[in-house]
Amino acid sequence: MATTANKNINAKLVLLGDVGAGKSSLVLRFVKGQFVEFQESTIGAAFFSQTLAVNDATVKFEIWDTAGQERYHSLAPMYYRGAAAAIIVYDISNQASFERAKKWVQELQAQGNPNMVMALAGNKADLLDARKVAAEEAQVYAQENGLFFMETSAKTATNVNDIFYEIAKRLSQVQPAPNPSGMVIMDRPTERTASAACCS
Amino acid sequence: MHQTHSQREFAIEFQPQIHILRPSIHSRRANIVVKFQDLYGFTVEGNVDDVNILNEVREKVRQQGRVWWALEASKGANWYLQPQVSSLTEGIALKSSLKLSNLTNAITLKRLIRKGIPPVLRPKVWFSLSGAAKKKSTVPESYYSDLTKAVEGKVTAATKQIDHDLPRTFPGHPWLDTPEGHAALRRVLVGYSFRDSDVGYCQGLNYVAALLLLVMKTEEDAFWMLAVLLENVLVSDCYTTNLSGCHVEQRVFQDLLVKKCPRIATHLEELEFDVSLVATEWFLCLFSKSLPSETTLRVWDVLFYEGAKVLFHVALAIFKMREEELLQTHHVGDVINILQKTTHHLFDPDELLTVAFDKIGSMTTNTISKERKKQEPAVMAELDQRLRRLNSIKMDDEK
Repeated sequence: MATTANKNINAKLVLLGDVGAGKSSLVLRFVKGQFVEFQESTIGAAFFSQTLAVNDATVKFEIWDTAGQERYHSLAPMYYRGAAAAIIVYDISNQASFERAKKWVQELQAQGNPNMVMALAGNKADLLDARKVAAEEAQVYAQENGLFFMETSAKTATNVNDIFYEIAKRLSQVQPAPNPSGMVIMDRPTERTASAACCS
Repeated sequence: MHQTHSQREFAIEFQPQIHILRPSIHSRRANIVVKFQDLYGFTVEGNVDDVNILNEVREKVRQQGRVWWALEASKGANWYLQPQVSSLTEGIALKSSLKLSNLTNAITLKRLIRKGIPPVLRPKVWFSLSGAAKKKSTVPESYYSDLTKAVEGKVTAATKQIDHDLPRTFPGHPWLDTPEGHAALRRVLVGYSFRDSDVGYCQGLNYVAALLLLVMKTEEDAFWMLAVLLENVLVSDCYTTNLSGCHVEQRVFQDLLVKKCPRIATHLEELEFDVSLVATEWFLCLFSKSLPSETTLRVWDVLFYEGAKVLFHVALAIFKMREEELLQTHHVGDVINILQKTTHHLFDPDELLTVAFDKIGSMTTNTISKERKKQEPAVMAELDQRLRRLNSIKMDDEK
């Protein structure tokens, strides 16, 4: 969970998505400003930290970049438990990865922290010729499910810093009043106990 | 205008590097990062201290080689491969053949292996002591070539994933990352995926198989090493759907940390740090992604002779070596940074293995098996619960 102290926010952020969607590449671009064509496959999860200054706050991200292969999904709760934010990544040239992204959204809505800031990233936006998922479709889906949406390219750096910046901004706004509307949580099952029993 | 806009708004602050302050010329030199290639062709980034350690280690490897040759001269060629010596760890089955000389030989061998198998002997010693040779001898000579021929051109979920991972397995390695290297790794992984369709292919095995290929030299021997590893050495179901065996190992590890390093365990619990956050990769890749190659192979030397309990010894040792530092941490991120920095710079295998076996103390395979039995039901219940919850989401969706 994100914690505030003198406008310093520590925020756990998790990246989820299909294998090869470019989760690690997004993180590498954001944290080190680099891109490599063949990124080592992630096993379990990899950890990174990066600090962003937004408006009047400093957000220190503790980033968990998870493995994409289906069988690794059983490990995911350990990484998204207590996360303040999540980026769900799909590959715009791969329809199946978009379907997988929707499943992650469902799982987070049911099991994750109810105040979690969720972003949907349509990665590999540079591969326009190979596009299989229309931006409009993803936009509509994101809106309906309370996520914000951006198409990103870890290769060209398009929107990569922006997506993290937008998350940081939202976290800094959410922080002083963690539950501004009061109503948002009500329609979700109180899963605290359930998730505590999982992988504890 | 747009460029300055992004710079101003994002103001990314890089984590300041914490250097240990030593007021000598050496410390300044030690902070210069140098790139070099290690014994197995991996590019390593390290400081001058690391290079010095690596040179010392190479010298120790040469000395250790001389010890092996001397013993071979006195005990006879391949004395360590004789079944009454080499399979002593299997225990009871060979009780009848327990002669004093065999027993002393076995003790000598165990000590020798903990000090490292000379790289030139590694393929032969691993192949025999792990049980791979025995496994291979139970099937026709042509098994591997028949298998690779039979599966050629077949496309499955596993082969697709393997093809995706080939260029992502130690990218940049002078042999692994060539068409020849990719093809060899592909045949081993695809072959295995058909041998055991329950495992198929699990990410992580690509790193293990790649390193086996580098050591064993021949593809076929690497294949049998992979087979004996998954079928006999490691706990079962480590790599199958939902990785249940791996979940069990993680829980056992958590318990062992409480027993063997209680101060660290208590502190990490206060930080809400789950050890499997870092240890999952260690166990699935058998440290090949975290430790320098020669250190990894020294761990594997012992693993193939003493069994999967070695992984616990080594994982505990990594925590133990940094006990004081770890106790000073306040954030999960700091813990991970310490552990990552430690593993990446562990160029001296003896330093690690001394802690792993002398400081951690003995753990019998039997105790660990009991621990696993204890954890299994909880893991299964947990995995089952997750599956049911996910299914219920789907049901709600369809309503």
